[in-house]
Amino acid sequence: MSRLHCESESFKMDLILDINSWLYPMELGDKFRLVLATTLREDGYADAGDWNPQGLENEGSRADSFEYVMAGKVYRIEGDEAANEPSSRLAAYVSFGGLLMRLQGDANNLHSFEVDQHMYLLMKKIFM
Amino acid sequence: MPKEQYRETDVARKISHVSFGVESAESMQQQSHIHVVAKNLYNQDVQRTPIPYGVLDQRLGSNSKEAPCQTCGKNINQCVGHFGYIDLELPVFHVGYFRSIISILQSICKKCAHVLLEEADKHQYRVRLANPHLSYMTKKAIRKKLVDRCKKNYKCPHCKEVNGFVKKMTAKGSTGNSVLKIVHERNRDKDKKNLLEDQLKEYTVAIESNPEIKTALSGTPISEILTPLDVLKLFERIPENDIILLAMDPKRSQPKDLIFTRMLVPPVTIRPSVVSDLKAGTNEDDLTMKQSEIIFINDVIKKHKQSGASVNMYQEGWDFLQLQSALYINSELSGIPLAMMPKKPGRGLVQRLKGKQGRFRGNLSGKRVDFSSRTVISPDPNLEIDQVGVPKHIAKILTFPERVIHANIDVMRKLVINGPDNWPGANYVQQKGSQFKKFLKYGNREKLAQELKLGDMVERHLHDNDVVLFNRQPSLHKLSIMAHRAKIHNHRTFRFNECVCNPYNADFDGDEMNLHLPQTEEAKAEALILMGNKSNLVTPRNGELLIAATQDFLTGAYLLTRKDTFLDKTHATYLAATLLAGNDTHMHIDLPTPCIIKPVPLWSGKQICSLIFRPNKKSVVKANLEAKGKAYTKNREMCVKDSYVIIRNSELLAGTLDKGHLGNGGKGGNIFYVILRDFGKEFAIRSMWRLARMTSTYLMNSGFSIGIGDVTPGENLVRRKNKLLSEGYTKCQEFIQQMNDGKLQTQPGCSIEESLEAVILKELSVIREHAGQACVAELHATNSPLIMALSGSKGSFINISQMIACVGQQALNGKRVPNGFDDRSLPHFEHFSKTPEAKGFVENSFYTGLTPTEFFFHTMGGREGLVDTAVKTAETGYMQRRLVKALEDLVVHYDGSVRNAEGDIVQITYGCDGLDPTYMEGKDCPVDFQRVLDHVKAKCPYRQEVSLSGDQIRRATQAFIATKALDECNEHFTNELIKFMNTIADRVEAVTSKFGSSPLAKEIERLTCSQLVTFLDTCGQKYTRSIIEPGTAVGALAAQSIGEPGTQMTLKTFHFAGVASMNITQGVPRIKEIINASKSISTPIIRACLVNNVDPWFAREVKGRVERTTLGEISTFIDDIYTKTDAFLLIQLNYERIKLLKLEVDAESIRYSLCTSKLKLKPSDVIVESDTIITVHPNRSKNSRRLNFALSELKEQIPNVVVKGLSTVNRAVIAREDKGGKTTYSLCVEGDNLREVMATYGVDGTKTLSNNIMEVYHTLGIEAARETIMTEIKMVMENHGMSVDYRHIMLLAAQMTHTGEVLGITRQGLSKMKQSVLNLASFEKTADHLFDAAYYGQTDKINGVSENIIMGMPAPIGTGIFKLLHKPLSVDQAPVSEPLLFETALKEVG
Repeated sequence: MSRLHCESESFKMDLILDINSWLYPMELGDKFRLVLATTLREDGYADAGDWNPQGLENEGSRADSFEYVMAGKVYRIEGDEAANEPSSRLAAYVSFGGLLMRLQGDANNLHSFEVDQHMYLLMKKIFM
Repeated sequence: MPKEQYRETDVARKISHVSFGVESAESMQQQSHIHVVAKNLYNQDVQRTPIPYGVLDQRLGSNSKEAPCQTCGKNINQCVGHFGYIDLELPVFHVGYFRSIISILQSICKKCAHVLLEEADKHQYRVRLANPHLSYMTKKAIRKKLVDRCKKNYKCPHCKEVNGFVKKMTAKGSTGNSVLKIVHERNRDKDKKNLLEDQLKEYTVAIESNPEIKTALSGTPISEILTPLDVLKLFERIPENDIILLAMDPKRSQPKDLIFTRMLVPPVTIRPSVVSDLKAGTNEDDLTMKQSEIIFINDVIKKHKQSGASVNMYQEGWDFLQLQSALYINSELSGIPLAMMPKKPGRGLVQRLKGKQGRFRGNLSGKRVDFSSRTVISPDPNLEIDQVGVPKHIAKILTFPERVIHANIDVMRKLVINGPDNWPGANYVQQKGSQFKKFLKYGNREKLAQELKLGDMVERHLHDNDVVLFNRQPSLHKLSIMAHRAKIHNHRTFRFNECVCNPYNADFDGDEMNLHLPQTEEAKAEALILMGNKSNLVTPRNGELLIAATQDFLTGAYLLTRKDTFLDKTHATYLAATLLAGNDTHMHIDLPTPCIIKPVPLWSGKQICSLIFRPNKKSVVKANLEAKGKAYTKNREMCVKDSYVIIRNSELLAGTLDKGHLGNGGKGGNIFYVILRDFGKEFAIRSMWRLARMTSTYLMNSGFSIGIGDVTPGENLVRRKNKLLSEGYTKCQEFIQQMNDGKLQTQPGCSIEESLEAVILKELSVIREHAGQACVAELHATNSPLIMALSGSKGSFINISQMIACVGQQALNGKRVPNGFDDRSLPHFEHFSKTPEAKGFVENSFYTGLTPTEFFFHTMGGREGLVDTAVKTAETGYMQRRLVKALEDLVVHYDGSVRNAEGDIVQITYGCDGLDPTYMEGKDCPVDFQRVLDHVKAKCPYRQEVSLSGDQIRRATQAFIATKALDECNEHFTNELIKFMNTIADRVEAVTSKFGSSPLAKEIERLTCSQLVTFLDTCGQKYTRSIIEPGTAVGALAAQSIGEPGTQMTLKTFHFAGVASMNITQGVPRIKEIINASKSISTPIIRACLVNNVDPWFAREVKGRVERTTLGEISTFIDDIYTKTDAFLLIQLNYERIKLLKLEVDAESIRYSLCTSKLKLKPSDVIVESDTIITVHPNRSKNSRRLNFALSELKEQIPNVVVKGLSTVNRAVIAREDKGGKTTYSLCVEGDNLREVMATYGVDGTKTLSNNIMEVYHTLGIEAARETIMTEIKMVMENHGMSVDYRHIMLLAAQMTHTGEVLGITRQGLSKMKQSVLNLASFEKTADHLFDAAYYGQTDKINGVSENIIMGMPAPIGTGIFKLLHKPLSVDQAPVSEPLLFETALKEVG
């Protein structure tokens, strides 16, 4: 297990992410593409909610084009405590079965987050 | 046809009270069946029949199976026995009443037998003593006062006779035997001469012939021996009217009956003769032997009487009779001359009653029971929390009588057919209407089974799920006996889930436990509801969880929930399947989506662990928890050690579970506690069991073991440790050097040696601490001891560092190892060596091995620990017994007050708020608002509702309270709730102002209207639930809650009181001091606040006023000067020192102190020569001959004269406190005399505290004393890390003070608290209390717990507190009373 501290290239967002580094090794300076989704279905419909072991193979899935996929839950949305002046910088916390993610950024970029929401994290390294 | 319900033994005859009295000779005869006269026991025939009219006469009851009782004709099982009596030839004193006899004699005239009081006084006392509602205590007090007054009134107001002192004859100064004899010494100071002359006159003739008689007579006091005969005659003449003045009840006890003239012979049933196998004949009971001996002496005296033997022989016989009849009652009589001492001490009547094995404590208060079993215990995580595994062998012996009804007749038939040898079977059948039980081992069981009818009783074997009581001694608290469901198995030990080890304090190193089977349905029901272990998950001591995961479960859970534990599908489903057991065998489990879907599906341990709480989506358990773990660092759940646990809707989102979340002791931070409080006990024990199964399976598969590699330090660690050691040693060396050079900074109130010890000790403990930290830092995460320490399952960091790095300083008595040899601890070291290694510092680890000296020091420390535990067990056991005896009667009544057995109020409302400590979720509060709010918010999302604004929250709260839904809550609680809601509203407003009101920002502090209502409702419910139930035995709970932690306290610990140099006693000795209400305590300390608390110089001045300063301390020298004409002492005062200490003394004031001291110096002898010089001259007139002796005597004593301060104050130390950059000073005064300290100028009396309860009581009164008891007990408990709810301590303090004076929990205090004779007799001094009660004619109302148990009745406590008040409808008017036969006759005559 490793904890990654990352910055986004756009949107000025900060990310802290725990990943299983045995399965998916990461090096300092690596660049990756990260997608957060509420469903894995290509058609964008919400999935059943239950885990279906066959599900991945049967239908086409968003996961197919990614190397590392995690499932988890949003459990808290929090304001930035450090800043005193009114700001709109918020942080969303997601737990992927204990592997945590904190995504910090402008409220506008986090607008569809909701507490208790299921969430999939999909990752793919970008090689230059 | 239900089983009979419990019924009180006989409705027609209920024991309402027990009266004590002194048996008169006449009533003895009335009770008796025969007059016993024969001294021999048996006829000399072959059958050895008892001699008629002997002490074993067959009319006194049956003694063997063959011979039925000749009085009632019943056999040995039925005959209760009958009394006989012996007439004594001469009266003797009754040992039990001997003291009472003396005090009566002291209060009556030895001539006319009137009470030695004026008529007016007599009348006054008579009125007071005639009051029927007089309490036992006051009666005793009045009597004591009365006797004291009579003692002073030596001249009888009635006949003017001069009375002397009456006392017990002592061995010295008297010739012959002095046992149980009373002397009357008639020479009072004033009338000595007259009396002497009178006496001399009597002996005129004798003196003439032998003048030596005169000198002999005038030398000794004129005394006469009051023989029992004299006393009896006196007592018979006491006027009827005066008997009441002796505080006796003439109806129940007469003074003359205090003297033995006739003796009862108890039934043979209580003193059976045992036919001996070894030798011919029988073994007789001590009572039998003693009584036959008494008859023998009786015969001898009778013979003497008839033959006119010499006075000496006659007297000898009488003395012997006196002694034997005394030994019959009390065989432990003291002061018997060696010649008369019986060879072997028998068991007298008193010995049968008293002591632990005696009748009261051994047979009446605690009884042996049937349907019980005992065997070794072993652990079994596969048993549910509320189960206990019972061996089949035991199940076949323990039976339950079950009534046959149509629903169970088929089952019962099967059981009967199985019989006693096959489980499940039955041992006996009792057919309806039949008196006899049929044993099923023999006979035709098939036939019996066929004949089984409704209403028959079958004594069937113990079944699965029967309610049984399970117990382990010592039963220190109510959780030591709990009800479990039985589970029969084929092995030979009792088994239970390890989670239940805690309340029993059991381990499996060979412990044995007891199991009882309740015999009625009511008993079963009560046991299940009140004693069931799932109803007792939480201890009433502080409301913390006591039954919780331990040891392996914690290790397993810790390993399973670590962040890098991932399980593939096989392992995940295997672990999940462990939940399918017991009632859950067919449970549906919803496996969550694996947290890693790609590249391979992997579940994290946390996900699987979450199934414990909520295995499927249908489960209602949605527990919420947010708590820090043991290794928490910072940043909440982002903590690098992953030690911040978040459980949201039963899903473990973050954090590694450890002891804090799963183990015993926690409240809001414990997941099982949360489940228990929010979802009920059933869910709590079920998830606890699931945890036990899952974690032990996980551990079995992953493996967990420990080896030498785990305690081998790495190179780096060795280097770090050596560096630490060398640095520490150099520092210590420096300190020692500094002390030798006299440069060491002394600490306030310490000598230079003490200061050195303190700094070295500090330095050395730093070494070990750092070594420990280094250890933990260096060890790999897979290190087994480290995992155990981190998960909290076993061992601490100190244990690890002792094994790997450094064992550390060995302490004896809280100090370094003392010098056992001349100026050194062991001969291996230099004299006066103070180096760490010479004083018991062990620098090696257990791994590297200890050097011989280190090893020896270590054994010294170990021995202290062992001795400590051995002493502690005995001491705390007795303390617990006393506490329970003192508090057992206290019950919460229906009006919420706590009352004792008499009905006196001890507390108006229990704990001032009437709440049960068991249900305190927050600190001393039934609801932890923040936790409940978080829980409600997570559990009920109400997604469709909008969140409220701050203002809306406030208004909604007010509206809710206005609906009177919270009417049952007290004002304090409601106010706290409103205050909390306001802070929430503030928080919402703060968020809105900072982040605006976008939908996302609303997520931050989202609270909807329904959530708010649910929250307030939950709070109200929790409060209502926590109101204490009427009938709760709060006294017993308090006693157990204070006594039980005592067993865990290490005996001798000291604690610093504000300043390092001032120790105060802590631990068990201190608790003992407090509850004994000791007058002088070992470390009295007064904490005085100062009027000006920022000025150190002001503090010094006050210190000077308080601290005892002797002349020697402030003088440079005191010299004796001899001149030609004079000899005197020259005292030179040390002015520098006086100034430095800010003492307010000068030569004049010292002169004053000298003159007022005990030295008896005259003002003219003390001359102030100058400001610093005083001369003291010895008293010339008195010591003209030996002036130099007087001077040297004076020289020795004068340095000890107190010139300033309070003589009771040994030391006063200025305590410095730095708080928030402000330094304040206060005074710690070691010593007594609170009154004077408070009144000292400069001391703020209103803020001055003392830890001496009795002194506070005398100075400030009872309420202050009560407060002090509470704070002191609380402090001791806190210092030992023991949390005890304040309500228990408050109740103890209330019980000690409710009479208006501070009563200790000792036999003296207890006898002032209780009215009941039986209660007191079952505590201590059994015989004394019984004899006293007989003397006073006391009545025991039987309203306490002990008394009811002794009488075999249900006590008015717990479920026994309510009574049915029934007004029969048919009876409208009072029944007409029939006039009695003699009454009517009397009327006719009159």
